[in-house]
Amino acid sequence: MASVSIHRARPLLGTFVEMTAIGPEQSGLDAAADAAFAAIAKVHRLMSFHDPASDVSRLNRTAATRPVRVDAWTWNVIAAAMDLNRRSSGAFDVTVAPLLQAAGLLPRTAAGRAGDATPAPGQAIEMRANHRIRFRRPQTSIDLGGIAKGFAVDRAIEALRAREVTAALVNAGGDLAAFGPSAWSVQMRDPRDPRETIGAVEISNEALASTGGRFDPFDSPLVARTAVFDPRAHAPAIAVAGATVRAPSAMMADALTKVVMIDGEAAAGLLAHFAASALMVRRDGEIRVTPSWQADRAA
Amino acid sequence: MPDWVKWTAPAAAVVSMASSAHAVQYLSIPEAQKLAFPSATQFVEAQPGRVWKAQAGGQVVGLFVFDRVIGKHLYIDYAVALDPGGRVRRVDILQYRESYGGEVRGPSWLGQFVGKTSASPLSVGNDIRNISGATLSSHHVTEGVKKILGLYGHGVR
Repeated sequence: MASVSIHRARPLLGTFVEMTAIGPEQSGLDAAADAAFAAIAKVHRLMSFHDPASDVSRLNRTAATRPVRVDAWTWNVIAAAMDLNRRSSGAFDVTVAPLLQAAGLLPRTAAGRAGDATPAPGQAIEMRANHRIRFRRPQTSIDLGGIAKGFAVDRAIEALRAREVTAALVNAGGDLAAFGPSAWSVQMRDPRDPRETIGAVEISNEALASTGGRFDPFDSPLVARTAVFDPRAHAPAIAVAGATVRAPSAMMADALTKVVMIDGEAAAGLLAHFAASALMVRRDGEIRVTPSWQADRAA
Repeated sequence: MPDWVKWTAPAAAVVSMASSAHAVQYLSIPEAQKLAFPSATQFVEAQPGRVWKAQAGGQVVGLFVFDRVIGKHLYIDYAVALDPGGRVRRVDILQYRESYGGEVRGPSWLGQFVGKTSASPLSVGNDIRNISGATLSSHHVTEGVKKILGLYGHGVR
């Protein structure tokens, strides 16, 4: 069967979103890529922390005063984030990142005051009917930076699958997902030295996401939050240098990298619950994987 | 709870990024022009190598602006398509270049990527680009688009 491929990239989600798609003919692929980029642009528009018109900004401005109706996509992401917060015993928390920002990335200032504990999202956020959301406390504000990028990749994959595309890979700055009859080889960057890679992993009809503990001041504020913050310790997560998670969806892969960064090996049960596996690079240089990790296949 | 196991990367899989500059070509200028303005019958150069008016049957249907900004270390070529009202229709990356200081340690680093899937229908020679953990900032492109909007966002006739 003859097939053609296209390779496209656009600046979205504060990074470069790259797409490779293979299918029977060029114009179908171009249309599919346009639809996939449009889906990502929609996620960007809905969930950007910085865009005042986004659902996230509208919630942060108004939801403590009255319920705010959001797009079904935003609602689904927040619902997934709250579920993961509960299952991770608070390690994954979309209400904590703004504290980091407010503190100018100096978390101890915000956390240092007595009685200033952040309430769990389960108590702070009320999910109502018809995609309406209310915050129970005026100081609550959310940032979906730790989960929305993966969700955007899933929506792009969905858009491609619905069209004349046989196989595709979507990579949003390291959060990626792929489908098709063959596996895709992906290199994992070394979190301790981004010029190096630590090995390859093959993915097939699944997703992969990586997080490093570095804070790069040369990056834009949108992507600088690679410094993962432990909401329970009120401190940056330091035990793990970097984590890569493979999962059925990019949203879960994206979000679970943060839990692995914070909880390290204790995240194993949670990973298993979401049918995910992980590779983590510890600060002492040792690399550990969950038993279902299959990176060696690529060798 | 399942236990984690110590993992050692297969020696052949441990490679550094190429020490030389590496470029990915996504679209040529004519390809990007056609994608941005499928109805256009010609692109009239308004500024040599930089700005084109997309025309269809004598009507201006938009403006195509080529620009480059510095990425991490090297240039990123991109194009902004504006509709006649001066609104951004789309932004495409045309070429992305990057350089790494690392050295190639693997015996055949290209073989790692291209050879692996050369027999499969997925082999498009781009596997090298599938890197997880490479969060590259698009900040400079965003700034560049703002600059272009400042110059041409008033609309065209």
